[in-house]
Amino acid sequence: MSDLTIWIIIVGLTCVTVATRSAFLVLGERFALPERVQHGLRYAPACALVGLIAPELALANGSLALSLANPKLVAGIAAGAIMLGTRSMIAAIAVGMLAFTALRLLAA
Amino acid sequence: MPKSVFGVDPAIAARRRHAFARGLRAVAPATIATGTWGLVTGVAMVKVGLTTAQALGMTLLVYAGSAQLAALPLIAAAAPIWVVLLTATVVNLRFVIFSAGLRPFFMRFSLGRRLFLGYVTTDIGFALFLSRFADAPEEERGSLEQVWFFLGMAAGNWMAWQTMSVLGIFLAAQVPGAWGLEFASILALIAMTLPMIASRPALVGAVTAGVVAVLGAALPLKLGLVAAVVVGIAAAMSAEILLERTGART
Repeated sequence: MSDLTIWIIIVGLTCVTVATRSAFLVLGERFALPERVQHGLRYAPACALVGLIAPELALANGSLALSLANPKLVAGIAAGAIMLGTRSMIAAIAVGMLAFTALRLLAA
Repeated sequence: MPKSVFGVDPAIAARRRHAFARGLRAVAPATIATGTWGLVTGVAMVKVGLTTAQALGMTLLVYAGSAQLAALPLIAAAAPIWVVLLTATVVNLRFVIFSAGLRPFFMRFSLGRRLFLGYVTTDIGFALFLSRFADAPEEERGSLEQVWFFLGMAAGNWMAWQTMSVLGIFLAAQVPGAWGLEFASILALIAMTLPMIASRPALVGAVTAGVVAVLGAALPLKLGLVAAVVVGIAAAMSAEILLERTGART
């Protein structure tokens, strides 16, 4: 791709960022959501984050891998348990990365 | 009124600074996730063949990791411009839902400010903001405290993302893919997400979203993620209604 094409794409992608992220902030004057739906949006953050996390943990090379042989799943569960037990994000990430690295080295 | 939120009145400057600082502090732990993700994206832009200037331009302007990561292989394959932009739009669809969640808070500001507040909204920023203020009284929506808290979070997130992304661009050759660095950002997201699942409807929604996301992972354009958000919200709302009914009976 030419340098110009790539810069056009970069500017276009910037417009996409602004347009999607401010969609209802800009169009919301005309399209108000029903109160029930507006209320339900409080569940959007957790749903979106779990939606990002779950496939990373449960899938290996695109297929379901719900077993102890899946380092990401085991490390993710370990990190979650540490988080619930200690409420320390740093401890959760540290234990998770240690478990992930150890399990990968064991498997290799 | 908007003036009392953004105006230069010295009497409110201190309140504004405090709210901004609270936002910065609230987002601080999450910068681990943002930073590692930024680093990974920075490295990926260079590895796919963008020049340093293009990569810097992309990270500073586009400021959307998942859309950038989705666009890169298409750029590498010299796909038509509209295909790249359409792909990024679909990958960003979850932000349309987020913007609906933020609407009651930011609706009263000028068009320029709404566009800006939308532009700096990230997954983490939205999640932290709404989990904190979803139950705030209606008359407080869009208050100075809320808006400057949001801006403080946005600033912290922006700095963490850009610093690490620029670092990734310049260190691309030195960062080995074998470290599994991107997994650290997933672990950070796990640690952030768990405290948000604080009620039974939220738990139902989260579990449903997780199952849908896994089932839909093979769908193109991260559509599985959009489906997960939509179905997850619906499940949480249904659970809420069911719990209300059974709660009223017992």
